[in-house]
Amino acid sequence: MDLLSFARGPALQFALVVFFIGVAWRIVGITLLRTGRLLSEPRTSLGKALFGGFVTMGSRSWPHPEFVGRTGAGEALGYSYHIGLFIVVLAFGPHIQTWAGFLGFDWPALPSGVITIISVITFALLLAVLFRRLTHRVLRLLSNFDDYFSWFITTLVIVTGLLATAHFGARYETLLGLHVLSFDVLLLWFPFGKLMHAFYIMPSRAINGYLLARKGAPS
Amino acid sequence: MTVRLADIRVTFDHGYGLAAGVNAVLSEVIQGLERLAAGGEPRTIDLRSLPLNPVERERLRALLGDGEVDVTLDLEGVSRVRETGAAGVWWIEHRDAGGELIAEMLEIARVPDILNTDPEDLGRSAGALRDRIRAAQSAATPENAP
Amino acid sequence: MTQPTIGELLLQNGVSRRAFLKYCTAMATLMALPAGMGRALAAQAAAARRLAVVYLSFQECTGCAESLLRAYSPSIENLLFNVISLDYQHTLMAAAGHQAEGALAQTMKENFGQYLVIVDGAIPAADGGVYGTSGGKSYLDTMREVSKGAAAIISLGTCAAFGGIPMAKPNPTGAVPVSDVISDKPIVNVSGCPPVPEVITGTLFQFVAMGKLPELDALGRPKTFFGNTIHDRCYRRPFYDEGKFAKTFDDEGARNGWCLYELGCKGPTTYNACATVKWNGGTSWPVESGHGCIGCSEPNFWDKGSFYAPLSSAAFGRAGNVSPRDAARLVGAAAVVGGAIGLGAAAVSRQRQTRLAGAPLDPQKKED
Repeated sequence: MDLLSFARGPALQFALVVFFIGVAWRIVGITLLRTGRLLSEPRTSLGKALFGGFVTMGSRSWPHPEFVGRTGAGEALGYSYHIGLFIVVLAFGPHIQTWAGFLGFDWPALPSGVITIISVITFALLLAVLFRRLTHRVLRLLSNFDDYFSWFITTLVIVTGLLATAHFGARYETLLGLHVLSFDVLLLWFPFGKLMHAFYIMPSRAINGYLLARKGAPS
Repeated sequence: MTVRLADIRVTFDHGYGLAAGVNAVLSEVIQGLERLAAGGEPRTIDLRSLPLNPVERERLRALLGDGEVDVTLDLEGVSRVRETGAAGVWWIEHRDAGGELIAEMLEIARVPDILNTDPEDLGRSAGALRDRIRAAQSAATPENAP
Repeated sequence: MTQPTIGELLLQNGVSRRAFLKYCTAMATLMALPAGMGRALAAQAAAARRLAVVYLSFQECTGCAESLLRAYSPSIENLLFNVISLDYQHTLMAAAGHQAEGALAQTMKENFGQYLVIVDGAIPAADGGVYGTSGGKSYLDTMREVSKGAAAIISLGTCAAFGGIPMAKPNPTGAVPVSDVISDKPIVNVSGCPPVPEVITGTLFQFVAMGKLPELDALGRPKTFFGNTIHDRCYRRPFYDEGKFAKTFDDEGARNGWCLYELGCKGPTTYNACATVKWNGGTSWPVESGHGCIGCSEPNFWDKGSFYAPLSSAAFGRAGNVSPRDAARLVGAAAVVGGAIGLGAAAVSRQRQTRLAGAPLDPQKKED
């Protein structure tokens, strides 16, 4: 079996199964953890507290004004490459066809030239992010294998994708096979590292917002 | 309701790639002409190797225009050699006996090579002509004269 | 008795040197050689002797032979037969039975070590090769015997080159490509279902005029014709780049000539000359006629999924939509398993949490 057929055949199937098992495992496992008893008096009604939780999902999207100076650049950098990744994954014609294969419906695509430009910019941003992580004293101290590997596998998918569309470095089928295979590895890794923030981020903000709103703190 | 073939509208979307092919060919032609004028070798540009669509081909033909020379060759199928409006640029079409186009090219030369007499043919020509003259003369000897 | 050179034969047949030059020029452009090389090729070919060619037909539909031979009429292809001597070919030869086999044996003897073997069709190898026999001999044995004195072998068509349709699932006859049977002779794979006629004649001509086999790619195909993908030479490429795809075969996009990627075109992974050389003497080719490339010059193309499902929708070895039921089953099963593991993990974690909650607060004691 050639690389491409393997990558999007048995390898993809296996990766998807592991992905769903892993995601379900972690979400169920975390949701069912014991929470400490809430020892403070609720200072707002349940409705207001829930609303506070809801609002926090959005209000934490950007640092409070006092902190923008120190963290703003990092946030903006992060957003930029996330947006780039989403556009490439969801608006590139061949990708849309892959989604359509699973969902049964498709949607309009962006011109492929535009996608290429966005991909290159995203790759540059990913490099910038790595540079920042390696040179920032605090970040460097905090960073571990999880951070670096999550970065690596995401960047690998984008780089192999660019190489495939550019037909650069090897036969097209080989490059495409490597691209799909790197995506398979991403799927395999996803549930076990920091990439799970994709699922945690909103619930986590909401819960924190609820708890704070319950104590009467603004969200 | 059945749709007849003639009812199906055929359109051609003039995408952004329209001028690219024609411009590429023209810049090669100009390069070839400059080189030839400076004493360089003749040059052939194969039109079939480039994905020119019919609109682009017409545009190229219109831009190059027509010259003074139009030669039709009978070579196991018709071949046509036409001088374009640009001196030194010849448009050559080779067709097989069935009329199918088998080669199409622009040749940048003083005279396209296919029009030249083949050296081997030339070498045999004097002898062959002599034979023909001899054959014609023997057919008109005094014995046969009325 | 020495064979006459091709040049002498041309003279005998009343074909002028100029006509031969025209033919060689056409061949040169076909082989992506500088068109100006026509004269040099003509001189080389004229000085060569006609190549003896033996054509073996095995598990084939005769489409490849048709592609090569249907042009046998008063046409430029006629000149090809001044250049080769086709001594054995089932469809064309007048002889039959023992006479035909006799002709084969004779040409093999007279030209031993120098004749070219063209093979079309796959070779059934199961059960000793009994599923393909002709004249009392299995195709397997014929292939091995005839190749003994061959200078080179041309596997004509995807069946001979890669197994093709006989080798497609479930392959009841154990069909194999020529390269699985012969390993000691140079083999050129001219694949395609059928191959473009000019690709066949161009490869043959190259062998005769230049005296050697063309440069081959990783799958043994002449790089001249199989060096680029259809996608790289497709005239609809600007539409692919612009993201303009036809969604059905008769929608506005299709009528405007937009890219056929979403209708299953396998152009990006198919290497062939269709986009430049085209078919029927340059009349058109599948994409230009509105149908996506089916990838017929690639190995196993019959088993690579639907011709109408986009390339990137091929998942799990199938092309086209993974049925919603399959997807639901997969996701559901995985989620259930994951959920179960999660429950177990949560149970263990909760136990640990309870234990820690009950433990006295002691900064010196090591907590895990």
